[in-house]
Amino acid sequence: MTREERTRAKARQEKRRAAEKKSREAAKGSVDLPFLLLTILLTGIGLIMLFSASFPSAYYESGDGAYYVKRQALFAALGFVAMAAVGKTNYQRLRGFARLSVGVALFLLILVIIPGVGITINNATRWLGIGTLLTFQPSEIAKLAVILYFADSISKKKEKMLDIRDGIVPYMVILAAFSLLMLLEPHLSGTVLIVGIGVVLMIVGGIPSWLVGLGVGGVGAAAVLFVKLVESGTIRYGAGRIEMWKNPWIDPLGDGYQMCQSLISIGSGGLLGVGFGKSRQKFLFLPEEHNDFIFAIVCEELGMIGACLIMLIFAMLILRGFWIALHARDRFGTLLVVGIMTQVGLQTFLNIAVVTSLIPATGISLPFFSYGGTALALQLLEMGIVLSVSRQIPAPRNG
Amino acid sequence: MANQEKKPKRIPEKIRRVNRVIQSRTFALMLVLGLGTFVLLVGKLWQLQITRHDELQGMALDQQTRSTVVSASRGTIYDRSGNILAISATAETVFLSPKELNEELEKKETTWTKDFLAENLAQILDVNVESIYQKMERVDSQYEVLKLRADEEVANQVRQFINDNEIRGVYLVTDAKRYYPYGSLASHVIGFVGDDNTGLYGLEARYEDALEGQTGLVVTAKDNAGNDMLYEYEKYYDAKNGDDLVLTLDATVQYYLEKGLKDMVTRFDAAQGASGIILNAKTGAVLGMGSYPNYDLNDFASIQDEKMKQMIADGSASLGDMQMRQWRNKALNDTYEPGSTFKVVTLAAALEEGVINTETTYNCTGVTVMSGYSIHCSGNHGFQTMEETVANSCNPAFISYGLAVGPERFYDYMRSFGLMSGSGVDLDGEATGIFINENDLTDLDLACYAFGQNFNVTPVALIAAQAACINGGYLHQPYVVEQVLGDDGTVRYQHDPTPVRQVVSEETSAEVRRCLELVVSDGTGHNGQVTGYRIGGKTGTADKGQTGDVVVSFMCFAPADDPEVIMLLALDTPGRNTGTYPSGGAMAAPVASTIMSEILPYLGIEPSFSAEELLGADTTVPNVIDLSVDEATARLKNKGFSFRVVGDGATITDQTPAGGAIIPGKSTVVLYAGEAKSDDLCTVPPLVGKTPSEANVAATNAGLLLRFTGTTASTSGSVRVLGQSEEVGAQVPAGTVITVQLSDTAVAD
Repeated sequence: MTREERTRAKARQEKRRAAEKKSREAAKGSVDLPFLLLTILLTGIGLIMLFSASFPSAYYESGDGAYYVKRQALFAALGFVAMAAVGKTNYQRLRGFARLSVGVALFLLILVIIPGVGITINNATRWLGIGTLLTFQPSEIAKLAVILYFADSISKKKEKMLDIRDGIVPYMVILAAFSLLMLLEPHLSGTVLIVGIGVVLMIVGGIPSWLVGLGVGGVGAAAVLFVKLVESGTIRYGAGRIEMWKNPWIDPLGDGYQMCQSLISIGSGGLLGVGFGKSRQKFLFLPEEHNDFIFAIVCEELGMIGACLIMLIFAMLILRGFWIALHARDRFGTLLVVGIMTQVGLQTFLNIAVVTSLIPATGISLPFFSYGGTALALQLLEMGIVLSVSRQIPAPRNG
Repeated sequence: MANQEKKPKRIPEKIRRVNRVIQSRTFALMLVLGLGTFVLLVGKLWQLQITRHDELQGMALDQQTRSTVVSASRGTIYDRSGNILAISATAETVFLSPKELNEELEKKETTWTKDFLAENLAQILDVNVESIYQKMERVDSQYEVLKLRADEEVANQVRQFINDNEIRGVYLVTDAKRYYPYGSLASHVIGFVGDDNTGLYGLEARYEDALEGQTGLVVTAKDNAGNDMLYEYEKYYDAKNGDDLVLTLDATVQYYLEKGLKDMVTRFDAAQGASGIILNAKTGAVLGMGSYPNYDLNDFASIQDEKMKQMIADGSASLGDMQMRQWRNKALNDTYEPGSTFKVVTLAAALEEGVINTETTYNCTGVTVMSGYSIHCSGNHGFQTMEETVANSCNPAFISYGLAVGPERFYDYMRSFGLMSGSGVDLDGEATGIFINENDLTDLDLACYAFGQNFNVTPVALIAAQAACINGGYLHQPYVVEQVLGDDGTVRYQHDPTPVRQVVSEETSAEVRRCLELVVSDGTGHNGQVTGYRIGGKTGTADKGQTGDVVVSFMCFAPADDPEVIMLLALDTPGRNTGTYPSGGAMAAPVASTIMSEILPYLGIEPSFSAEELLGADTTVPNVIDLSVDEATARLKNKGFSFRVVGDGATITDQTPAGGAIIPGKSTVVLYAGEAKSDDLCTVPPLVGKTPSEANVAATNAGLLLRFTGTTASTSGSVRVLGQSEEVGAQVPAGTVITVQLSDTAVAD
């Protein structure tokens, strides 16, 4: 190593140190309080509603009505610790985990489909775990990995995103790999979410406008075409789902059962609801009542007014998240938050849309509400990332 | 910090453009995910929770709740004097919960087995054991009825069996069963209830709302496994027992009426049955209403009439048709051409309008010609006073009265008497009369109307009009229910006795009464006489179209000067070869006389004997035991009795009938002077068809006493015994009084 080289290295090191110092300085700002409060509020309400919704099935299954909510609360606590820890760290450090996380996610996704390793529930092998006590879905990790990697990579590409070879192909390859592995589980809804988040990040990241138009138009046209083809009987796959979505009452005791029960729960809530804790549908009528269909119980107990208030909190959280994204110090921060908030927004919309039969059924859980400890902990960790980004928002000039 | 100000300048344009794209696309996404999606969702929630709320809530309640019915006790129906005509008694339905039974059996802790249970229940309940096994197989079910409305004894046995063996899954639920203590009595008026305890016919149907009460309900919340949840949704709606009905009907009057109807139909071989109505003439209260054929309310589906049973057996009629026929109330559901009994109405109208009066006379030539048609009279009556035209039931005379009243006024009276609208009696299914349109009424039609032909009315509407003609002119709506009483005895409904209207004046009515009394005392209705009572009446024989068949009828009322009771009997299509001329006077009037002679004393209407009648009137036998023979015979003579002394002792040791017995005057009392009284029973001899004196001889020879009722005017020599109160061959104590019905068999209306 020549002296010149050494000086150059030293200069680079100094420059990096300076940048790090500056970043550390910036990272000492305060977290975004509204976003933090909304997160805590939503988690709290989510836990309370989970307690109410899960009580009967928990009671029938284990004899302890609080069984589910106790576990969920434990993970929520864990999640808050993770949120605090991540919130305190400088999110720039996450760049270092980007490639690693994709590798880990791919490894786990492969691991889960190896026969005998993953845990199979309802013909889908989506879970890894130590026994059946502590389980998680590798797809949850994969979502975070996609967000981290895409945000890191896209933020560096800048105008190269306009180039198909640089801006589209590599990301599509990664999404294709994840999709393939997840479809093998199978896990259609997870695939939809990951592809959705990835594509959104690519769009926001600056791919050509015509591609955006083509993409959005293409997806819409494909969806309509799919439904039409299913209706005309050309495609058999998904025919049952579409049929049951259009009219679950043709088989209210069979395939349409869950949908009918969900609609009955929501409808019987009316404007004011039957009252907190007084859902009758949770008494073994509505399957998955503490899981994907928890929002139906919310609608039944709290009525349209309660449900709208909760949706309002969701909306405020999402809007505040995007506000943080818009004000982030750099592109990486922006894309990171966009990815996370897209995940929350998409999941919330898709979940409620399924429960209310706005779209055909898929298994997507409601953030902060649905039972699932690791998922909740991860969500809170992601909220920590958003908070971390929020700390580095430059103070407005001429305050 | 000067650095910072330069910084923006150092950012190349290309990067700035990239950042701008990111910013704008993020903002767009923010709007989509933060606002757009929620607007869609709120819209969808509105649709489900507001628009479809009721529909979906209904579905929710259907699946979330279980309703257990607590039946209310159906109200009781009482007659005028408090006799129970219909009552609900408690019965218990035995049911099985196969689901629970299965769960019990799966625990394998039971001391009993499925077979044990099935066999024992089959035996106790008297049902097929196979059917119990079948029901046990339906393990998803919680309610399989094993026996509907088991009576108390069976229910207690089941309870005992359940308790002894600690069985879970077999239950009893209280239910109600309807009993009709009098069986077939007043069956058409009372009606019956179906399997679900809902009234199907008669008062049971008409007063369903009052009688049924409010079924109670226990609504409990249940989970999807069907388990009850002790939850706040449990709600109780108390059962409210049904109200009771107090009728104007009198069980005793009804009994005599139905007995008379059955006698009449059997004796005169009436193909289409008979009907009869008895009203309180002053109020319209229905004391009795009967129709034959009738049926047993406790077994309403079975055919009672032998002839009808035979028709089903030989395939000439279906069970359903025969059921409909026996359930039909001919007094209410059917109309008929009334014939001459309608002349009462014509008479009242003509008198009220002043077109006739007591001075009116009419010369009958036996036929009258109207618009080219000859209308014949039942006889050639010659010159008659107005009363005589009524007593003779002279058609040409009444045609002239009707024509004198004229079509418009005649129809006004028909309407005012309630004939065209129906009586409005509080029973279901009253038929409406059939009349020619007023504008199309020809003189010929009016002529026929005047003597009661060519139009149809129901018996109940006709008797209401006739009652108005004789009670001072007041039309009352006939009614059956006097009061509706609540469970606690409060009066929920009381009949309003106000008449509908006054149709004719008191004077007109009095004149009608006078004429009608003459019909019975000295006219076509003389078979309707009742010893000791002043009876007014009118006979009728109406053609049923051109078939040659007739409906014969008789309307009568008593006492003739101040009517309390009015009765109308109609016999549909009597046989032509019964030995009795088919007319109201020959067939219906004697039966009416029998019924009246039974019910008038029962109703407390005092007889008013003439001096001649008084001799034959019932007299109390004095107790003459221990008196000397001379003294005893003197006492009996004093009272008008004949006597016969058996034995030759000086004092009377025994007598038949015993002292205090009430027997017809002029009867023979047997006195025993030292000789033992015979304990042998006497055999009742056949009396029907004999002349009164022949009957008297036969009865005296048998050691029995006779009481004559019915017509005593025996001038025509055709008076015969029509019926006797004791069956031929019956064994009765000596001195028993046998009532015989006398009748003139040759009378034509």
